[in-house]
Amino acid sequence: MKKTFDACRLPCFSGGLPTAPATFVWETIDVTESVTVRYPAWPGDAAEQLLGALREAGVLLAEVPVRDLVDCIGRVADRFLDSSDPLRHEAIDLLVPTAGISKEMASEILTGMAHDWTADRLTELLWRELGDPGVLDGFRRVDEGRRLRAKGPLLTFHVGAGTVPGVSVTSMIRALLVKSAVLLKPGLGDVVLPVLFAGALAEEAPELSDAMAVTYWPGGSSAIEGLALQRAEAVVVYGSDEVVTSLRARTPVTARFISYHHRLSVGLVGREALTTERAPGVARMAARAVSMFDQRGCVSPHAIYVEEGGAVDPGEWAAQLASAMADLEVEIPGGCLRANEASAVHQMRGSAELREASGGGVRVFRGDGSFWTVILEDEMSFTPSCLNRVVSLVPTPDLGGVAGSLGKIGRHLQTVAVEGAGDRLPRLAEALCRAGATRVTSFKKAPWPPPWWRHDGVSVFAGLIRWIDMEEADQAGSRVATRAGGVP
Amino acid sequence: MDKAFASLAHALGTAFKENPGEHWPEDVFDQWAQRVFTHQFETNPVYAAYVRKRDVTPSTVAHWSEIPWVPASAFKAVSLVSGDSARVQRVFRTSGTTEAGRRGEHHVLDLGLYEDALIPNMRRHLYGDGQGGDGPRRPILALTPAPAAMPESSLSYMLGAALNVLSGGEGGFFVTRDGVIDTVGLSEALVEAAADATPVLLAGTAFAFVHWLDWLKKRSATFDLPRGSLIMETGGFKGRSRVLERPEFYASLSEAHGIPFEAIVNEYGMTELLSQFYDGPAEAVSGMALEARRHVPPPWVRTRVLDPNTLSALPMGRPGLLCHYDLANAGSVMAVLTEDLGIAVDDGFRVLGRVQGAEPRGCSLAMDDLLSGVRS
Repeated sequence: MKKTFDACRLPCFSGGLPTAPATFVWETIDVTESVTVRYPAWPGDAAEQLLGALREAGVLLAEVPVRDLVDCIGRVADRFLDSSDPLRHEAIDLLVPTAGISKEMASEILTGMAHDWTADRLTELLWRELGDPGVLDGFRRVDEGRRLRAKGPLLTFHVGAGTVPGVSVTSMIRALLVKSAVLLKPGLGDVVLPVLFAGALAEEAPELSDAMAVTYWPGGSSAIEGLALQRAEAVVVYGSDEVVTSLRARTPVTARFISYHHRLSVGLVGREALTTERAPGVARMAARAVSMFDQRGCVSPHAIYVEEGGAVDPGEWAAQLASAMADLEVEIPGGCLRANEASAVHQMRGSAELREASGGGVRVFRGDGSFWTVILEDEMSFTPSCLNRVVSLVPTPDLGGVAGSLGKIGRHLQTVAVEGAGDRLPRLAEALCRAGATRVTSFKKAPWPPPWWRHDGVSVFAGLIRWIDMEEADQAGSRVATRAGGVP
Repeated sequence: MDKAFASLAHALGTAFKENPGEHWPEDVFDQWAQRVFTHQFETNPVYAAYVRKRDVTPSTVAHWSEIPWVPASAFKAVSLVSGDSARVQRVFRTSGTTEAGRRGEHHVLDLGLYEDALIPNMRRHLYGDGQGGDGPRRPILALTPAPAAMPESSLSYMLGAALNVLSGGEGGFFVTRDGVIDTVGLSEALVEAAADATPVLLAGTAFAFVHWLDWLKKRSATFDLPRGSLIMETGGFKGRSRVLERPEFYASLSEAHGIPFEAIVNEYGMTELLSQFYDGPAEAVSGMALEARRHVPPPWVRTRVLDPNTLSALPMGRPGLLCHYDLANAGSVMAVLTEDLGIAVDDGFRVLGRVQGAEPRGCSLAMDDLLSGVRS
């Protein structure tokens, strides 16, 4: 019996919008042989009604204190983290087919994501980013003679990438925190968590229910997309360069456009980490960084540059990494891939094995019946991975030379995980920053940047909020007096 | 050519030419496949090392389906020659759609074997009368560069060989090396064919046809080709700026040349394989919906449809990756895993297209995307 998941969670409007999904025309996509994703086709008038209703709800949302928003969202996060809560089980069961990941991976990702949606983490995020979160509720005196207020958009339109489940919920939460109503179109691989999140949040806080709509459609295909771009004050897009380009071109100049295009990440392992004691541990962390999200995250390393001259040479470390990848495949198995994803691995891996077979220094370590692959290269070059746990190891005589060679991917470069650079790290970080990197970290932290991470170099709320400065009138006309004195 | 390969190639060529339309029983194909695999294992050290890593040798292969495939992209990474690489007669290259991507190379030891495979197969599909007999000697009007202008194109070579052998030297090539269509020359040739009532075979890439159709449309020009004329289109639209759906494309071709739908045949071929697949004899597809057509391998090719995740063979009707075992590839590697999705049907397979279409999942970038990002 085929299971159907409705990739749609709408407000319960009183005013005319089709409240019962039964009145929609539904489209379906078979995501696996046993699961179908169903989504409503949005005729223009229904889309217009939805957007109008969301904007109205946005006005009411502006009156809810930020503290209350944090608490409600935090309670939903706690439910996702609670292993006895049916919501968590439902999420994990649905993530497996829709995101193409294993149950273990779904559990790992849900825990990692929901941790950053808890009240404590959100509170810390707000304090770090805004100083006093009270600026979202009203004007706050920040220094002598000056008050500040931060105002979010009435409505934000979010387009998710669908690569890593949960990312679009994070995007939604950020908009809700600045009191913006949200329309989210998630990517196909990330439809489950936003729908469940919005549903659970509406239960926790019925006053938020009408300010959130989540509905999937294939990007570029629906009348609602163009309308949403027109009606929203801010547009937030996660996606490929093509998707971002297309949406940016269609967004009015008066709307804020916040985008996260394609990014890729790499790792660097220096001599200091390649001691007999440290190397296996670094390999285990690297394996986790590569395998988390089945390598589909922008933070996932495509290639790891390994310095020569350590006690453990790149070939030996490649074997250690392979062994760690094999162990991790047991602990957190890889997901079931789509034909194009699986095909890409077969092509890349098979080609690498033929390069290995033709002599030279290429070596290939691979899973049997699983997709993980470690390709030890024999020359200094960067080839993007086909993803799904396929990583290249590039031997390098000196870590100092790597940053220069990353220049050609600089505009897409994001996270660089560095291990064992010793006291060379500050200079290396400078060089990486020149190359375009926006985050230097360790393998352990690479998959899980904190909520206040400046994603692709931009502050969390920078594009979402508008600051309003209120300069107070001076006391007792002192300036007038001065001026009067100066101008006879 | 080295002796071992020469005698194998000769034997294969002879077998291809005998009863080209007749299905080879499983044991006949299996014996040939094992013989070719043994040759490849013994003479292609790169492939042999790759095979040995899988704990396979000729003595472990009980059935041809156990012969290890190489991915099509391997032709970009290494040269795969089963024999004396000093005796390679021609290197065919995949079309370079990007500056950055490396082109695949098929090193061909024996062009004669290529012709022995392509001629009988094309004769059967495009030069028959539909009843197993010979049809008209249709002159070939090729929307490709001439073989001499583009020696690295296996398609140009194929059409050149067919022009010599099947159409008695009649016809010509109407695209320059730089991809410019000799529209005037082709128009004249088509007008002449109509006037002489000579059925022709108009053959070329789908992409070239689209440009040809655009040119005709601008001039509101159409032709009324004689009955028995055929169009062979190949190649698809991957990575091109203009993409047409197949029914729309065929309708335009049909209208512009005055021939029925069923006189349009798709050739599915690739540089990495020396055999081709046609989705007709043209006469046999009469009245058949486009989506019902299937590609029929020649008897010396077997095609398996593999589950993309497990790589095990799928039952009929389930889509998977096409993996071809082509004996005409004796001089390189016989078993090639493609990036094409297809479905096995009774006597062949249905091509569903390149694996793509689904929304990309993951921050994956092809090298040319990266470089175009740098350029912009």
